[in-house]
Amino acid sequence: MEEIQYINEHLGPRYIGHFAIVLAFFAGLLSMVSYFLATQHRGEVLRSRSWQRLGQLAFLAHGAAVFTVIGTIFYAMLNQYYEYQYVTAHVDGQLQQRYIFSAFWEGQEGSFLLWTFWHVILGYVLMVTARRWEKPVMAVIASVQVVIVSMLLGVHFGFGDFLLKFGSNPMLLLRETVNAPIFQQADYVSLLRGNGLNPSLQNYWMTIHPPTLFLGFASTVVPFAYAVAGLWTGLHREWLRPALSWSLFSAGILGIGILMGAAWAYEALNFGGYWAWDPVENTSLVPWLMLVAGVHTNLISRATGQGIRATYMFYLGTFVLIVYSTFLTRSGVLGDTSVHAFTEMGLETQLLFFLGFYFLLSLGLLIWRWSGIPVPPKEEATSSREFWMFIGSLTLFMSAILITGSTSLPVYNEIRAWFDPVYDGLTLTDPEAHHNRFQIWIGIFIGLMSGFAQYLRWRERSFGKHARYFAIHAAIAVAAAALLTFLTLLWIKAPSLTYKAMVFAGWFAIWSNLDYLVTFARKDAKAAGSVISHVGFGLMLIGIMASAGNKRVISQNQFLMEGLTDDEQMARTTIRLYEGSPLGMEDYIVTYVGDTIEGYNRKYSFDYQRIRPDGAVAERFELQPNVLYDKDFDKIAITNPSTKHYWDRDVFTVIMGLPPEEQSVTARQATEDSLKYRLLPLATGEQAQFRDTVAVPQRNSSIIYTYSVELTDFSRRIQHPDYTFEPGDIGVAAAVRASRSGGIANHDTTASVALVLREGLLYHFPAQLNDIALRVRIDESVFDDLIVRDSDLDYDEFVVEPGSTITVDGQVITFQRFISQPRVDHFQPKDGDIWVSAELEADGATMQPVFLIRGNQPSGIRDEIRDLGLFAHLVSLNPETNEATLRIAKTAPREPLRIPLGVALRSYRTDYVTLQAIEFPGINLFWIGSTSMMLGLLLSMFVRIRQRQGLPGDAAAEQ
Amino acid sequence: MKKSYILAIILVVVAVVLLLQTGNATSEYANFAKAAATGDKVQLVGTYVKDRPTIYDPLTDPNYFSFFLEDLSGTEREVILLMGKPQDFEMSESIVLTGRMKDEQFIASDIQMKCPSKYKDEEEMIKSLTES
Repeated sequence: MEEIQYINEHLGPRYIGHFAIVLAFFAGLLSMVSYFLATQHRGEVLRSRSWQRLGQLAFLAHGAAVFTVIGTIFYAMLNQYYEYQYVTAHVDGQLQQRYIFSAFWEGQEGSFLLWTFWHVILGYVLMVTARRWEKPVMAVIASVQVVIVSMLLGVHFGFGDFLLKFGSNPMLLLRETVNAPIFQQADYVSLLRGNGLNPSLQNYWMTIHPPTLFLGFASTVVPFAYAVAGLWTGLHREWLRPALSWSLFSAGILGIGILMGAAWAYEALNFGGYWAWDPVENTSLVPWLMLVAGVHTNLISRATGQGIRATYMFYLGTFVLIVYSTFLTRSGVLGDTSVHAFTEMGLETQLLFFLGFYFLLSLGLLIWRWSGIPVPPKEEATSSREFWMFIGSLTLFMSAILITGSTSLPVYNEIRAWFDPVYDGLTLTDPEAHHNRFQIWIGIFIGLMSGFAQYLRWRERSFGKHARYFAIHAAIAVAAAALLTFLTLLWIKAPSLTYKAMVFAGWFAIWSNLDYLVTFARKDAKAAGSVISHVGFGLMLIGIMASAGNKRVISQNQFLMEGLTDDEQMARTTIRLYEGSPLGMEDYIVTYVGDTIEGYNRKYSFDYQRIRPDGAVAERFELQPNVLYDKDFDKIAITNPSTKHYWDRDVFTVIMGLPPEEQSVTARQATEDSLKYRLLPLATGEQAQFRDTVAVPQRNSSIIYTYSVELTDFSRRIQHPDYTFEPGDIGVAAAVRASRSGGIANHDTTASVALVLREGLLYHFPAQLNDIALRVRIDESVFDDLIVRDSDLDYDEFVVEPGSTITVDGQVITFQRFISQPRVDHFQPKDGDIWVSAELEADGATMQPVFLIRGNQPSGIRDEIRDLGLFAHLVSLNPETNEATLRIAKTAPREPLRIPLGVALRSYRTDYVTLQAIEFPGINLFWIGSTSMMLGLLLSMFVRIRQRQGLPGDAAAEQ
Repeated sequence: MKKSYILAIILVVVAVVLLLQTGNATSEYANFAKAAATGDKVQLVGTYVKDRPTIYDPLTDPNYFSFFLEDLSGTEREVILLMGKPQDFEMSESIVLTGRMKDEQFIASDIQMKCPSKYKDEEEMIKSLTES
């Protein structure tokens, strides 16, 4: 086949991008090897230093190459070069500039690049700050970079039938990834359109959540690298100090990233909550739990020398779990069980290698060095702080194992299915209940421990002296927490003892930590961060209990179905609202006020009034949830909730459904086509009556409705609220009054309808009378009757003065006068028009043909006297003689005009939505608590870094 | 660290016991016959039967959606889903329902749909690309 010379392809970014990916891979490899050798030869200063220099240079080049790859992709995306597969898949013409970042990390390759980007930044920081630890730490980071960049290589090796695929290259052209006839055309580029960004990601949280989360993901490599470095070099105590600051940073950022994801789910998704125990959420939470466990054992080992082995295990485990999480979300294993996992891309083997390599590396290093890791000869006392912190870490570890275990069920199924292909697979019946059952108790336990461990002392050897202090403070804390719990439970109800215990644990943690802060913080600034985190944890416990345990569905369904259990009845949480009709739900009155559409975004307004028991309006607010249509207006792409935030509760509202006709233009057309219109030809002032018998569902009876439709007005000028004028439009409009009697109530309404002929296409402006399920429109046949073509008429021309009389086919017509700028029914003037009409009278009826000058162009508008069959044009006028040139034709007299109204019964209502509304009390406690937990971690990091800088001798001592 | 070893072992034992309990919280996907036999809340996979009637009329009851599902063993039964009709329902490849059997109907309180990925079918993608 002949090679096709494609035109308009932009291949520049492709060449640069390909080169940069390859460069990033090999520079990373070189950096890794150099740093490895620099570490191995650390005894020989000169040799080690030159290897280190090479490693640094290679890593700098690697970073530059990674930035270049990202830059070229952005360049192609910003310029909408759809010949690139990545651009077509994630960008389209409608994409707003502010979502370009979201579009970048929507795909697997983009998010891998984001990850490597952060590794590069962290690597650069470490090259400056890590000093003696730079060599081993950077060797580890470079190795991770090599593995990740290899997933972007997109290199294929073929050994016979066996094809080895390395990575998925983001810089591939569309024609290189798919085979389609369109690529036979040299100018295929101009035919391409983008798929665009998934609408659920078009949200500001999606601009900040992924980079934060990935910074959190990426930063876990630093404690990991320090742990590897400690094992590698055998300096088991020295790495603990720098690793602690980094793991505090990592835990804080990863935590904030996870919370942002929760906030996104709450603000933009419609499941009505912030945490659903979804596998993707779980796999980001588990490393965080492990990391926090590691932070605690790290503190223990810094303070007492105990627990170094545990610290190693936790930091190594954290990163391995991050890789495991990557494997789960990106290999397609989760497929069935998660809503937001990526689909498979053929990277499973590589991801498995990634996981296996770092798991075995960690395990191997631990086994190799295990016996050399120092353990103090004397065991810690049960009354010491380190003992209970250690228990706390183990509890966090257990929580992590439990979550991982249940989340890995799909992996277990996959493995079983590998041996036994008919194996169906197990699934958690109710993941939420399952996880809550364990995790709430773990939360209670951690809350209690993070409280009373603060009253204990490091390296306690003589608890007897301390016991008095401990007993008094702990007793006060228990009493205070009990009182506060009692007060809290007056505000919110705790459905079970577990929830009551949770509130108690939360208050206990808050009280004892604040107590500790007041007593100790002046002595040690490091306490502040820990107190903020633990108080935050306490608040979070109360917040979870308040918002999840007390979640109240406002949109309780009013229809009872027989034979349902309470739980099933509770699941029925959708309610239907008609536009303009207020509906009472629980203690609210909600009105669907209206909606506006802008682009693909349709925003609905709901007026909420909370009614106090005495009937007064306690508060009033408006919520505006919206729906986004897809590109063809053929379905709803996504619905976004809207939430009213109060300090003590949130009112959450989301649209659950629209009438089918409002969801899709195809459905609307189909409904319109399925309606059977009956024709009622009516003259102005006439009315028609008809009956309809409607069966009452599930009853053996029916209702007879009597409808009456009257044409109250008719005009050849187009008048309709939805109509906007365009030049050249021809059309008619009518006012209709319709009423229905029978049934429960009688209805009487008026409406206007119109029919427009624009550039050969007919546009209906029907009236939907929802109260009586009646649809009215003007039938197209109106034009057959209305429009008589001039070529079918036999005109005679007359040149006459006003006052003279003409006879056409025996019909006497008087030309009465010229009327300057008249307002007539058949002509719609525009600004700048000059027009005049000739008033012609025949048998008492008149007509006014119009002579028009519009933009120096003369033209005329015909008029007619219908019942006499007369048609007249005013062709020209002579200002000097005051004579008019008229063309007049006569046909047989015609019936008075009847407007054919099309009337369809039982048409579908389109003025309603279905909606869900939930009240979350105390959800702010959750957000404040969880956020301060993370901020406390970051604060601790800053305090530690500052203290370190404050002690110059210390830094020197580390050298 | 003898004491902490003991505690660690205890915690691991507790974790293992709890994880084994997970076995009770899991089940194989049921079919209609199994669901009818137990009468308990089960999870069930199947496919939407397109040529049987579906009923969803939000004007009558916005929380009542009825359709027919064919389970993995090929039995067709009517399903009453106690919520509105989900978006893209017709496009779903397979459906996971949580609910119980009541007489001849399956009362479902939760639904999860597996939809074909927009990008999976690349020919479809090219087709949609060039239509304009």
